[in-house]
Amino acid sequence: MRNSPPETPVSSIGDRLPGPDPGAPLVQLFESLRPDLLRFAHWLARDRATAEDIVQESLLRAWRSREALKDPSAARAWLLTIVRREHARLYERKRLELVPLDEITEMQAALRPAEADGELFALRHAIMRLPIEYREPLALQVLGGFSTEEISRELALSSTAVLTRLFRARNKLRVIYGLSPAPDAAPQGAA
Amino acid sequence: MNCDAARLLIGADPHATSPELEAHVQGCAACARFREEMRDLDAHIHRAMQDPPQLARKRRAAPQWRQWALAASVVLATLAAVGVWLLRPNDSLAHEVVQHVQGEPESWLAAQQVSTAEIDKALRGAGVQLDLTSTHIMYAQSCFFRGHYVPHLVVQTAQGPATVMILRHQQVAGRASFHEAGLEGVIVPAPHGSIAVLTRGPANLDGIAAEFEHDMRWQQ
Repeated sequence: MRNSPPETPVSSIGDRLPGPDPGAPLVQLFESLRPDLLRFAHWLARDRATAEDIVQESLLRAWRSREALKDPSAARAWLLTIVRREHARLYERKRLELVPLDEITEMQAALRPAEADGELFALRHAIMRLPIEYREPLALQVLGGFSTEEISRELALSSTAVLTRLFRARNKLRVIYGLSPAPDAAPQGAA
Repeated sequence: MNCDAARLLIGADPHATSPELEAHVQGCAACARFREEMRDLDAHIHRAMQDPPQLARKRRAAPQWRQWALAASVVLATLAAVGVWLLRPNDSLAHEVVQHVQGEPESWLAAQQVSTAEIDKALRGAGVQLDLTSTHIMYAQSCFFRGHYVPHLVVQTAQGPATVMILRHQQVAGRASFHEAGLEGVIVPAPHGSIAVLTRGPANLDGIAAEFEHDMRWQQ
């Protein structure tokens, strides 16, 4: 038992981890970032339920390592990297795409009618179809606000490799947008 | 900077700027147009990624024999569950734990923390040690239960007192929760035996059990 007053676990983190006080600023901060984490995990895993599991596990890991978070303003980026690594662990364990696209179909009812056949709809699906090596840096950049240097550190790639992956990701999406793909500008040998 | 280098930078981040890139774009209409296109596309990418598409796995129709097998297994499982329920012994572990706790009503009323020595004494017979940094163990006794002396502790939580019994000699197959005589309880497997936690109202029983398990050291 800890030498501290009795605490009340919060609904999500605390259900599986005794101790965190739901009123604690850090717990509230983590919870406030959950939608961002879930969105990010969803783009990586391509499956809502898997994304929820990843986020749950990531928040537990984050809580256990909370001493490492010195600056609360860095929490979002810190948590996103934990989510990415948790997804990578899962991906590594399964050694395949978590949800093969040939096994999934769209839930048309869940789509907003105005977008059902619009460019945005097509773009979302095109992004989902990007291989993970392109989708991952794109999600880090677009959703996480990570710079090229930060992405290269996180993915343990050279800056050139990251630039190349981001270039190729967007180049594939140009087609959806009615543009012809640009010639591959990547240097030879880059990712 | 040549066009390939400029397009690589623009394609990777359409809003990136650097003196070299700006100089190149100013003098290259094709790259300037490429940047405009990519910035336009990027705005759509940002919008698109705010909302992942809802995808679901395709359902594959199971062969008919498998459907029959599934139905049969459901029926058998239901019959087995009903049988277990009807034949369950009245002196189940949970029932005995509840009876034991009811037999010591004073345990819930303790208002002062017990000393380290008293906690040690309660634990010694069961061959366990607790990281004694606790400030809120309010009751600690070594009780005779099912042929063994077991630690019977009461810990103060935000939801009120919670009884914890460390059942070293009671193996359980898995977690079991119960509700009996106004008590909520759970028995969870532990490295040696099991741990029972009971409260008189809603509480995070599993959390309490997990916390004890974490802080306990089992002696061989």
